[in-house]
This record gives sequence, C-alpha cells and structure tokens, in this order.
Amino acid sequence: MTDQIAIHTEGLTKHYGDFEALVDVSLDVQQGEIFGFLGPNGAGKTTMIRTILDEIRPTAGRASILGMDTHLQSVEIRDHIGYVPGDLAMYPNLTGKDTLTYFANLRGGVDWPFVDSLADRLDADLSKKVGDLSSGNRQKVGLIQAFMNKPDVLIMDEPSSGLDPLVQREFQTMMREVASEGRTVFLSSHTLSEVQRVADRVGIIRHGHLIAVEGVADLRSKAIRTVNLYFDETVDGADLEGLPGVREVKVENRHVTLSFDGQMETLLKVVTQRYSLLDITTHEANLEEIFLTYYEDVGG
Amino acid sequence: MLATVVTKTFLDRWKGVAIGSAALALMFFFGMAVYRDIDLAVYTDLPEALRALMNIPSDADVGALAYGAIYSSYGALTLASLALSMGSASIAGEERKGTMGLLLGNPKSRTHILISKATNIVLLSALGAVLLWVAGVVVPDLLNVDVTGIGVAALVFHMFVIAVFHGFLAMAVGAWTGKNSLASGVTVGVMVISFFAVGLLPLFDSLKNGVKAFPWYYYSGSDPHINGIDWGHLTVLIVGIVLLGALAVVGVNRRDLRGHTTRVSLVDRLRANPMTAKIVDRLAGSTRVSRIWVKTASENQGILIVVAYVMFLMMGLLIGPMYTFIDEALVSFTDVFPEELLAIFGGGDMSTPEGFYQLETFGLMTPIAFMLITVTIGARALAGEEANRTMGLLLANPIKRSSVVLEKTLAMIVQAAIVAVALFAGVVGGSIIGSLGMSPMNIAATTLLGMLIGLVFGALALALSAATGRTRVAIFGSIGAAVALNLANGFLPFSEGLEGLARLSPFHYYLSSDPLVNGMNWGHAAVLLGLFVALVAAAVMLFDRRDLRQSG
Repeated sequence: MTDQIAIHTEGLTKHYGDFEALVDVSLDVQQGEIFGFLGPNGAGKTTMIRTILDEIRPTAGRASILGMDTHLQSVEIRDHIGYVPGDLAMYPNLTGKDTLTYFANLRGGVDWPFVDSLADRLDADLSKKVGDLSSGNRQKVGLIQAFMNKPDVLIMDEPSSGLDPLVQREFQTMMREVASEGRTVFLSSHTLSEVQRVADRVGIIRHGHLIAVEGVADLRSKAIRTVNLYFDETVDGADLEGLPGVREVKVENRHVTLSFDGQMETLLKVVTQRYSLLDITTHEANLEEIFLTYYEDVGG
Repeated sequence: MLATVVTKTFLDRWKGVAIGSAALALMFFFGMAVYRDIDLAVYTDLPEALRALMNIPSDADVGALAYGAIYSSYGALTLASLALSMGSASIAGEERKGTMGLLLGNPKSRTHILISKATNIVLLSALGAVLLWVAGVVVPDLLNVDVTGIGVAALVFHMFVIAVFHGFLAMAVGAWTGKNSLASGVTVGVMVISFFAVGLLPLFDSLKNGVKAFPWYYYSGSDPHINGIDWGHLTVLIVGIVLLGALAVVGVNRRDLRGHTTRVSLVDRLRANPMTAKIVDRLAGSTRVSRIWVKTASENQGILIVVAYVMFLMMGLLIGPMYTFIDEALVSFTDVFPEELLAIFGGGDMSTPEGFYQLETFGLMTPIAFMLITVTIGARALAGEEANRTMGLLLANPIKRSSVVLEKTLAMIVQAAIVAVALFAGVVGGSIIGSLGMSPMNIAATTLLGMLIGLVFGALALALSAATGRTRVAIFGSIGAAVALNLANGFLPFSEGLEGLARLSPFHYYLSSDPLVNGMNWGHAAVLLGLFVALVAAAVMLFDRRDLRQSG
C-alpha cells in the first residue's frame, strides 16, 4: 500500500476473437493524481477498465492496483476502489437509498452522514425508485455509490453523462478533493473539456493502442497555437519563416498570423530584435484540437 | 417501415419458435418410438372418459396415439404460448421497455405498428406450424410407422389458428392496458382453463355442452388429426381473431401510452403510506438489501406467491376432500389401469390416498412447481444481472465471484423451501380434512425429494447461466433437460433392456421408492443432493473463469 503507483499495467492486451480491443497497453497512474483516459467511442476505454477490474481477463499482460494483482487479489482491491461503470444500470425496483444501502452492506457499512452530504452536493433524490429516475438523476446515485466509501482509487467510465452543467461542476470539485487527499481518480471520457479542466495527466487511446500519455500542461505547451502579431510597420514574412516551431506564416501588411509549437521566448526574441511589436495574442489550442491533431498524425 | 418492424420482430423471435418446435419434434420422436415398441392395449383399454381426456380414440394405433396425446396437446399449448408471449410483448412490451416512443417517433401510426406486430404473430405461428408439420411427416417415416388416415396438415392448421387466437387475445389486452404481464397472465389463464375444461367437462354429462364456451374446444373438439379440418369450428376462432384484432386497434389508439415504468407493488404502496411507512420501510427497504441472498430471495415474489398458493390450496388442501368424493369411481378404474401407464404420471395406486396424491400432486405438478422457482432464480441469478448490466457494479464490491454464486444458490434454496412448506402444509391439511390418515413424515419426505429435484434443475440452470451468461440458454437448457429426463424416466422402464437406463435420470430418485408409502429413501435423497452440490460447484468454477458479458 506504500507503493506510489495507483494503477499499473504491463503489456495489457485483450482480444475478442480476431478483434483487438486492447493492444499492449503499459501505463502507470500515480497516487493522488487525476488521470484522464481519452478516446473516441469504441477505442478500448471500457475494455481497459473492465480488465483492470477483473470483469474480463486479459489475453496477455498483467495489471495491478495499489500494488495488488488485479486478478489474484481482485477482492482485496475492491475494498479500495469506487467504480462507476459506463452506461450505468442499477436495480430499477430499488430506491436510491435501497441501492446505496445494498452496496454499503456488501462493503460492511459506510459513513451515512457523508453519503447524505454527497447526495446534498449532487442534489440527488434517493427516495425514488432508480427505474423511475431520469438518466442524469440515476447517474447521481451511481456517483454517490462510487464516492461513498472514500475509495483510494476511483475508476469512472464516462461518469458525467446526463449530468447538468451545475452538477458537473460540483462533480469536478469532488474529484479534485479526492485527489487533494492523496487518493486517485481514473477518469475515462470523451468529453475533452471536462478532462482538460480536472485532469493532471491524460492517456489517449485509439483502436486499442495507447498512443500518448502526457501531462495536460505538457500537452498544451507542446501543442500548436495560433499567434497573432501586430507591428507598427510592414513586415517581411521571410524573416519569420524558418524559425524553430513556426509554420504557416500569413502576412497582411502589419499583421502576421502564424502557427507555432516552439518556445515562445525564442519567437519573441527574434521578433522584437527586428521589429517594433505593438501587440500579441495567442490562442491556446484546447485538448480537442490537440486530440484531433493526434488522430490525424498518429496511429490508425 | 411496416416491413421493417415486421422483419425486426421476426428476427427477434424466430429462434424461440424454432427451438420450441424442435423440442416438440424431439418429444414426438421419442413418444412415437416408445409407442411403436409397447403393447397399445395399455392405452386402448382405458375407460372412455380417460381416453377422451388424453385424446386417444378407442381404436388408436401408434400414429393416432402419438399425434393425439403428444402433438395435439403439447404442440398446441407450446405454439399458443409462443404466440401469446409475442402478443403481450407487441404493444405492452415495447411500452414497458420504453421503446414505444422511439418507434412512434417515426412517421407511422399506432395502427400501423399494431398491424405489423399482428402480422408477426401470424407469420411466426405459421413458421412454427410449418416446422411441426415437417416433423409430423418426417418422424413416422424415420420410424417406419404407418400413419395412414392421420391428417397431420389438418391438425397443424388447427394448431396454427388456435395459436394466433391466443396471440391476438394477449395483444388486445396489452393494447388496451399497456400492461405486459397482465396481457400474458390473462391469456395464459384463458388457455389453461379452457384446455382443462375441454378435457374434463365431457366427463360429466350435465356439463358436456359447457365446453363450447371455451376457445380450445374449437381447436381440438373435432379431432382434426382424424377428421380433417373442421371449417365450422375454425370459423368461430377466425371470427374471434378478427374481433380481437379490431379491439386491439381501438384499444391502442384511444389511450395514453405508458412510459418506461417500474412496477408498483403492494410493498411500494405500503411504503408510501405514512401509517405503514416505518415498519414496511424497515422490512422491505433495509432488510431486503442486507445481503445478496436476501435481495435475490425477495425478487420474483409474484411467481413465488402464486406457486406456493397453488401448491398449498389446489394441489395440497383440496386434493384430500376431492379424493373422498371420487374414491368409489377410482377404485373401479384401478382394475383397468395398467401399472406401467400410471408410472408415467408419477405412479401410485389410485385407490389409496397416497396413490391419488402421487398422481395428482407429486407426480408432475410438484417438480414443475419447484422448477418454476428454482430455474427462474438459477437462470436470472447470474445471467440476469449481466443482461441488466448490474453485475459489474455488484462485483466492484469486495466480494468473491464464488460468494455471489453461493448467495444466489442460498436464495434459490430459501424460495424452494417456502414452496416446500406450503406444499407440505397443504397435503397434511388435505389428509386431515379428508380423514385420509397419511403419514406426515412420509409427506415431508416426498416434499423434500420434490424440492431436491427442483434444486437439481435449478442448479443446472445456474451452471448454464454461470457458463454462458445467457438467460435463455439457462432456461431452455435446464427445462429441455428436465423434460427429456422426465420422459426417459417415464418411458424407459417399458422397454426391455433399457429399463436400467432410467436410473440415469434424476427423476428416478424422486418417486421410484414410493416415498409417500415407504417414507424417506435417504440413498435417493443423497443422490439428488450430491447432484445439486456438484452442479453448484460447477457453477462456481465456471463463473469464476469467465469474462463477464457487457450487456444482454
């Protein structure tokens, strides 16, 4: 338990017949971080999660959570995790409260005042039957059951589907609190903006291959951004082309637009040496754009 | 669009029809094979009334017997059941699943949807009928049995019409109420009551004409396998079908569609009532979800209550006094009833109360009752949670897969025990009311053996469910095995040289020792218990090594 690695996989592979759902995925998620697991539908996110939860068994490779083997010690592991499955389904004839009581009993009890506080924060109605709840309200019950035992590792598959923006924000706060307490969040999503807002690092999966693992900040700094430069005189575009990280230079009299993925300092030095710079705006690419870039460039 | 709905429903449903027909064909094959090898005097010497009940003409040959006793009753019941399940699912089923709104989001009217569903009932019933017709023609050929004079086509056509009738009845009830379970419940009730009425009413002179009030009469009353198609009778059914269809159209168009809803049970109402909320909440709420087995045992309450009630009252309590009423008549029957034939119905000497109870209650009804409960739990315990996508959530808790299997097994035992207590109390009560003086210990022993038979097949369903994660495989597999093994146990003793094989059927260990008379046969109980334990162990192992299914 003193291991700093929350989730560790080594060459994790899952085949369904000829279909390769997961191929040689090796990944480490640190304790205390929020790890975003990004990929389009059908990329292998859910397969990955179901494998590390021992719902399905890998074709090759192994995985561990908090240093325990996901297959051999799956029961011990489940003492320490909270899980929100994708496409959440629960027992339609039980009320939210019954559902939580059921899972609490299976865990040997929970801190009920804490559960009530979670329900308050998410504005969840626990008195209605789950089957009669809208999908968003059902999702809240699912989130509470995952958070209620204060798990060391929270594994969530598309957890914010159906939640309204206010509840989503509260949910993000809850995730940050978990991480600040040194606990870990593994968040699978295709909602990039959400991951961008909360995650420390992201892994990007496509066609079963983990194609990148980056810190959100690093990913951004690496990324292409659009830079607008305004000068007090006409500029020769050739001066800028060829600088490291500069691409697609467009010059309109005293206004230059370029794509840039290098060190901003270098660019500024060169520009200010030669011309008098009046103004600069940069548009930082969001993960969406980076994501699309990866998909255009890598894998496939 | 119409064609699309028809095609989709057809593709969803054809397998059930094909499997049902194949099972019947198999039963028909075995039945005919046995009839071919035994002295048919066993049947033809029966009293007339009984032959009427079993649909056996006085000059019956192998063919007439096989078609009459197997095809025309089981075949029609199966085909009608398939049709009525389609009928109840057609409108009410889509509402319950919440897919009706989606379907009606397309530019087609409710009437259109209804007609396409109705078309399917007709098409699929026809498919079943055609399959049965093929089997009915091919099997005698394979077995070299002469079936001249038997109208397979006429019989099967009658079956087709009665099936469509029940399908439309269920569809009409569903269209008016939007309640799937009500639609199938009402229709099954009509079917079963009319089946028994047509069999039993002719036994009483004064009630003879009453059969004409029951739809089943217009199917079987004219003995179509011997007398050919009776258009007069079929016209009655066809007019009924048209009326029910029209009724369904009116019904579905005049009411508000139901959204996706959960059932509101009596317990829910009590929980909502402030007077009772506290105590009921404690029982139904926190207690129900205290353990996996308690939760599982609290499910399927409807079927449990019905089964326990039927076994207590109708199969238990009432049989005693009934015996005293018809005691005299039965004594004379026993002279003509060959022992071997009785064995098929569970055996027993009809002139004794024990024999009567064995024939009426324990022979066939008791295993069926227990299996209704145990197979339901066994099949749904694992595969059901997977199909409903709740298994992943359940197994995210710190519990072993084996614990889940064992807790579900415990729930199965608890529900079976409830039925056993009801049955035991009913039969003991019936014995007291009728002053029959049966031994309560022997009743307990027989009940226990019956419960064990139910548990064996429940555990088989559990093992199949554990191995495949598919509810249907579990249900069809275990019921199919039960039917085949029960037939084997009933028929094999007739065949010289093969009678020893009956020991391979679990049913042999249920009544062959005559426990109602001789008391508990612990050896037999041990065999059944051993089988049960072995199957549960297999379920544990199979479930542990498999990938969970993602959805149904």
